[in-house]
Amino acid sequence: QNKKISGQVTDSDGGGPLPGVSVKVRGKQQGTVTGPDGKYILEAAEGVILEFAYVGYVGQTRTVGNDPIINVVLSGENKSLTEVVVTAFGINRASRTNGYSVAQVGGEEINRASPLNLMAGLQGKVAGVDISATSGSPGGSSKTVIRGFSSIAGSNQPLYVIDGVPVNNSRPGDASPVNSLGDLKESYDFGNAANDINPGDIETISILKGAAASSLYGSRASNGVILITTKKGKAGAFKVDVSSAAAFSQVTNVPKLQDKYGQGFAYESWVAENGSWGARFDGKTRDWGSEVDGERLSQTFVAAKNSFKDAFDTSQEYNNTISFSGGTDQSTFRLSYGNVNSDGILPGSSDVYKRNTISLNGSTKFKDLSITAGLNYLGKNTRTVQTGQANSGVGSSFYEDILQIPVNFEISKFKDYKNKYFDVDGFYSPFTQNPYYSIFENGATFKSDRFYGNIDLKIKPLEWLTLQFQQGVDVSNIVDKIWNAKNSPTPGSWAGGGNDEQIVRQASVGNVVDGSEKYFEFDSKLNALFDHKFSDRFDVTGLVGLNFNDRGSRVLYTGIEDLLIPGLFQIDNSGNAPTSSQTSKERRLFGAYASATLGYDSFAYLTLNARNDWSSTLPSAQRSYFYPGANLSLILSRLIDMSSAKVSLLKLRVAYGKTGSDTDPYNVLNILNKTNISLGGVAYTSFPFGGVGGYSISNTLKNNKLRPEISTETEFGTEIKLFDNRLGLDISYYNRVTNDQILPIVASPSTGVNFRVVNFGKVRNRGIEISLTGVPIRTDDMTWNIGYTFTRNRNVVLELPDGLSKVVLNAAYDAQFVAKVGQPLGVFEAPVPLYDPEGHIVVSSNGFPASAPDLGTYGSSQRDFVMGFTNTFTYKDFMLGFTLDFKKGGLFYSGTADLLNFVGNAANTVFNDRRTFIVPNSVVRVVDGEGKTTYVENTNPITENNIYSYYYTNSGRAVSYKNMIVDRTYLKLRDLTLGYSLPKKVARRIGTDRAMITLYGRNLLTWLPKQNITIDPEVSNFGNDLSSEFGEFRTGPSTRNFGVSLSLTF
Amino acid sequence: CNKLDINIDPNNPLVEKANAESLIPSGVVSTAGRVGGDLSIVGGLWAQYWTQNNSSSQYISVDTYDVPNSSAFVNGPYQELYSGALADYQLAIEKAVAAKDWRYNLMATVMRAYTYQVLVDLFDKVPYTEALKVGTFLQPKFDDGYTIYKSLIQEIDAALAKDFMNTPHLATDTRIDLVFGDNGNASFEDQMENWERFANTLKLKMYLRMAYVKPAEAEAGITAMYDGDTEFLNINAGVSAYQNVPNKSNPLFEYNFRRLNTTDNLKASVTLVSWLEQNADPRAQVYFGADSPVPAINQGDFWNQSNHPEYFDAVVPVIAPTAPVWFITKAESCFMQAEFLERYYGGDNAESKYNDGVTAAFTNLGLASPTDLLAGPYKYPKNANLETKIEKIIVQKWASLFGSHALEAFFEQNRTGYPKISPVYSTEPGYQPGTLVYASRGVTGEGNFPRRLVYPDYEKSRNTNTPAEVPIYTKVWWGK
Repeated sequence: QNKKISGQVTDSDGGGPLPGVSVKVRGKQQGTVTGPDGKYILEAAEGVILEFAYVGYVGQTRTVGNDPIINVVLSGENKSLTEVVVTAFGINRASRTNGYSVAQVGGEEINRASPLNLMAGLQGKVAGVDISATSGSPGGSSKTVIRGFSSIAGSNQPLYVIDGVPVNNSRPGDASPVNSLGDLKESYDFGNAANDINPGDIETISILKGAAASSLYGSRASNGVILITTKKGKAGAFKVDVSSAAAFSQVTNVPKLQDKYGQGFAYESWVAENGSWGARFDGKTRDWGSEVDGERLSQTFVAAKNSFKDAFDTSQEYNNTISFSGGTDQSTFRLSYGNVNSDGILPGSSDVYKRNTISLNGSTKFKDLSITAGLNYLGKNTRTVQTGQANSGVGSSFYEDILQIPVNFEISKFKDYKNKYFDVDGFYSPFTQNPYYSIFENGATFKSDRFYGNIDLKIKPLEWLTLQFQQGVDVSNIVDKIWNAKNSPTPGSWAGGGNDEQIVRQASVGNVVDGSEKYFEFDSKLNALFDHKFSDRFDVTGLVGLNFNDRGSRVLYTGIEDLLIPGLFQIDNSGNAPTSSQTSKERRLFGAYASATLGYDSFAYLTLNARNDWSSTLPSAQRSYFYPGANLSLILSRLIDMSSAKVSLLKLRVAYGKTGSDTDPYNVLNILNKTNISLGGVAYTSFPFGGVGGYSISNTLKNNKLRPEISTETEFGTEIKLFDNRLGLDISYYNRVTNDQILPIVASPSTGVNFRVVNFGKVRNRGIEISLTGVPIRTDDMTWNIGYTFTRNRNVVLELPDGLSKVVLNAAYDAQFVAKVGQPLGVFEAPVPLYDPEGHIVVSSNGFPASAPDLGTYGSSQRDFVMGFTNTFTYKDFMLGFTLDFKKGGLFYSGTADLLNFVGNAANTVFNDRRTFIVPNSVVRVVDGEGKTTYVENTNPITENNIYSYYYTNSGRAVSYKNMIVDRTYLKLRDLTLGYSLPKKVARRIGTDRAMITLYGRNLLTWLPKQNITIDPEVSNFGNDLSSEFGEFRTGPSTRNFGVSLSLTF
Repeated sequence: CNKLDINIDPNNPLVEKANAESLIPSGVVSTAGRVGGDLSIVGGLWAQYWTQNNSSSQYISVDTYDVPNSSAFVNGPYQELYSGALADYQLAIEKAVAAKDWRYNLMATVMRAYTYQVLVDLFDKVPYTEALKVGTFLQPKFDDGYTIYKSLIQEIDAALAKDFMNTPHLATDTRIDLVFGDNGNASFEDQMENWERFANTLKLKMYLRMAYVKPAEAEAGITAMYDGDTEFLNINAGVSAYQNVPNKSNPLFEYNFRRLNTTDNLKASVTLVSWLEQNADPRAQVYFGADSPVPAINQGDFWNQSNHPEYFDAVVPVIAPTAPVWFITKAESCFMQAEFLERYYGGDNAESKYNDGVTAAFTNLGLASPTDLLAGPYKYPKNANLETKIEKIIVQKWASLFGSHALEAFFEQNRTGYPKISPVYSTEPGYQPGTLVYASRGVTGEGNFPRRLVYPDYEKSRNTNTPAEVPIYTKVWWGK
């Protein structure tokens, strides 16, 4: 006999009503949701169990007894215990039914320290996900890698999906051919598109890590999926949320410089030298810098203190979001406006990130039809400076110039770059330029207008069936501009040859490059969702669907070199003809998929899924590919009553799945390229030449027999919740093998090509992920929550094609980052000394160690493990939280260290007090008249005035790379927040529902191992994929931020 | 499904659309870009025209003979010459043969042979029979230099045997000939005649390379040509369309001057400068922009300014952005003719060819005919023994190959031993001007001059057929 049950569901935090909570009768179709006041009414028989579930809150159950009123207080205190998770296609699923690991993080957690981008808010918080900010400059890219690198040349970035629809995550510059005008490579980082999404609009982020979880999303999901659910309006009262944050940041982890020797060369004080191989500091007052009008400046001859740190400014960042939301039972809406205004650590307005976001979404219901739509505008306006190597003879780059300033100079003095001692004529060295000149006179701007959004129509013709149509759109329109000013030292001036070395500085002829990039993506899905109960014990839920995706880009860059009128950065302003590069790309994909979950008595859930794709990028005979998967979830705690052991949940999971992946467009048919002849270094001869056009055979051989890449992943895991959910443990083990990778591998040049596109080889990632959550303290006044994550991934290359001993992924000078069989993806190889059979270092006839004929192995970039540790204390209205992020092991290459060693500024260059020495334990090779080789003790020293070349990559080739390939370990205090919420009563009195003020810091502390005296290993200017694991080449330092934020709800 | 048939690259033509008209100029400029670019820097350092500057470091490894298999000077030219130049010539020949267009067949065959000859002379053994066939051979075997030479000569002969005069070019076609087309102004007959002469002179060069190691074959090959009234080059063959525009200028200028942060890495070497000074040779002014004695640095003695403050005055070699890259000059052609006349025809007419060569070398630089010098220190030693005369010819050739042609001077020194090696360093009292010295910071051990480049890492790490590495001072197959 059914009876009427009613009640109210309230929030444990403040006791407010919770609208929209699902109330279901266990094992029946029966159920309802709470209204705007948190109240519900339904009919149920005595003895049945009611399940209360709400996204972001811990679900609860109640048994219907005598009392017709059942009030429930839900708490959302511990997100990792959340039982309902968003899975593929934005479907909310009880996490117990998943046979795979899904991590979910709430918006509040992400926004705790008001990050400018969403991935920064996830650092250290999710097991199996490695997130780095590749730049300390505002708006720079972030790198996200889920369960290790598996693709050698393709993308390792996850797919970003917002409200069920995939969005663009391109990096400007990546769509252009290598070495073309639009190839920004390591020189300009305008950020990746996913980074621009306003974190303030995010309700939750679910991370689908393995193949089992992500395969329904198709080819692009093979590296995992970041599923973003945006905030929506809720039925109930009209709400206004305001959050406002202001922060300041400073550079952190600047290079450690030596403080014993000043400007000069070979122990002598050459005053035009860029570097510190000169005399030992003596504290006496001396002239320094250039001589202008017969005079020089003077200062004490000592190392400048904090010179490097003081070269930068304090940056400012303002981050505001206001949103209006509300709704009725039928319709909801939410409108938000976000604004970010950030000026980075470089002086002036040379690094700026401005972002305006407008987001509107709404939903309405009419009978069986429901419509949801979201529309977002994202306007971005940034300015940045060049990193990496300057375009010699055209312009100069700050980070290359700053590293070469002798340690006795205060770098910040050069900010006055028009001062006669520091200007184009008077700058102290003809070998470099004033770093601040490039900041104030050269630059790059980037403006993007982007619209993305989706429409979602649902109709429910039958009780067990829902038909869904989803259409997503993401279009961006970008213009960027890069310029270098024209300058040349006046002949006879200090930099024009009037220096003590009579060197004339290379003139900068200046340039301007104008670019336009357009991206588009259209994604359509048609799904039939079903949910049917066959008996008391069996139920089945699932879907079948079709997907069509069309995306691409149009890129056009035009530039000129050598400006006619200085200061005017226009394509017409030159005697030279402009050059252009133009690239269009488009790809399409059809997909058909099905998934069904069979549930048995809320105890066992078996999911079977499969997808077939047809891709435009593969040869037509191979374009169709199928990949199935299955996973099983067993909730043992339902089978056996473990309540006496305080176990509330014990779940075992096992999953097996495949994901298929296509390739980039135009990898099938062989082409000709407009002729552009590499002359070595950065020099080219380009066609048209002498009035004649030229096409050459492409140096990359395409392949009309390509097959799709297939990854196979097996995953095991368990979830345990103990002590009234106060302790939770989630462990996963996975093993993923990516087979038949498609990539252009190097070919011996004598075949006539340098690369050929092939399917080859295997890369395996195996790993373990542990996440532990706990509530050590939970009282009325005080709670303490902890979250700990541990990830260990082991990557190995199982096969390379015949004849290839390695695949080079990235390189700088003679340091290479390679893939080798039996080694992790990304091994560092660089010159090593030549040893005799007894293990002595063999030196050349000049006394310097000879290098072995082949490069030696230094180690890999792979981390030993990654750990994150999150703590949140609340005491009454106060909240204190912090996150630690620890990444242990692996190596990286530093181009900053290379230059600092070259110029004698690095702290390690004072080895042996720069005195004459004989390479310890060294021998020389002697060949007698009969050709017999012997080794005798070396007596040929490296003399004092030759010491510097011991640190050069030419003379010191065999021994210098160890100074640049160093440990990449770090431990960071990612965030530290102290919040205070006004008590409800006080808040009400000032007209708000909720008011909170937070002091926060991001990346406040970074600990690096002793061996790394140069730079934060997180930064890179090699993009945000595998090649960036190589390291950095003269890029900016990372930053720490301090801020305060205020959030109000009306 | 039609909707998915969108995978034809809209940005680039399909390879099936290739034609000789777009491939040949691409290949020619590619060969010129490396042979007259970075390889001429190496050649000039080792032929001792120039040396590394005392206060910079760009070419230290080359100037100390410390060039590993991963060096950009090894991998870079090797890669560009194979997958850039040779691949384009190969396809151009296929297209020309299919169209029975024997004009383009001759051009591409000669340029292909010229490019292969440079590779053989640099590396001794290189892939040839199995090279440039990526569909069949992913790891081409290496062929020895002698076999390759013989095949190249046969291929040139075969191309010469075709009727390449049959179909005249239109002016627009002539224009694509960057070697002899004179920007479309050359007459078709002159143009093709010059290609024929270029082909013959290239054959001559290859036979002369064999003069010491395959004397009978060299003699037979050359006498067959000469007795058959074969014509040799009497103008310069090369690319002269360079402009002072970014990415269009002389490759040595583009690489070393336009695109490096300091433009004074190369400085005059005492070796060449002392010889020019001794002879009061006016080329000093053209080569270095300074009057004799040209301030210079002793070979490889960079960073020794404490002992040699005069190094700060050393001058940079003058390489004009518009300087041509010559494949074979008229002077070189004359010197080669003088050499074989001396070797195989008892010196008949050799002196006049020698004088023509020296004169052409001067006039090519815009200088007056050196009549005084030819009567003085450059006078041909008509009555001396053969080796003395060969030395005279080769030293003059060495003095003429300055700039983008420097690599040839390195090869010719390896072949003939001229200019001679000095027993003492150039700072020592007994030093003879113009004799080569062992670079003061060389790493190979005194007297072990570089004679080749080691096999590139790009080949070695991708092709298991790559022979074992031998030291850089190992002579190539024709080396003396």
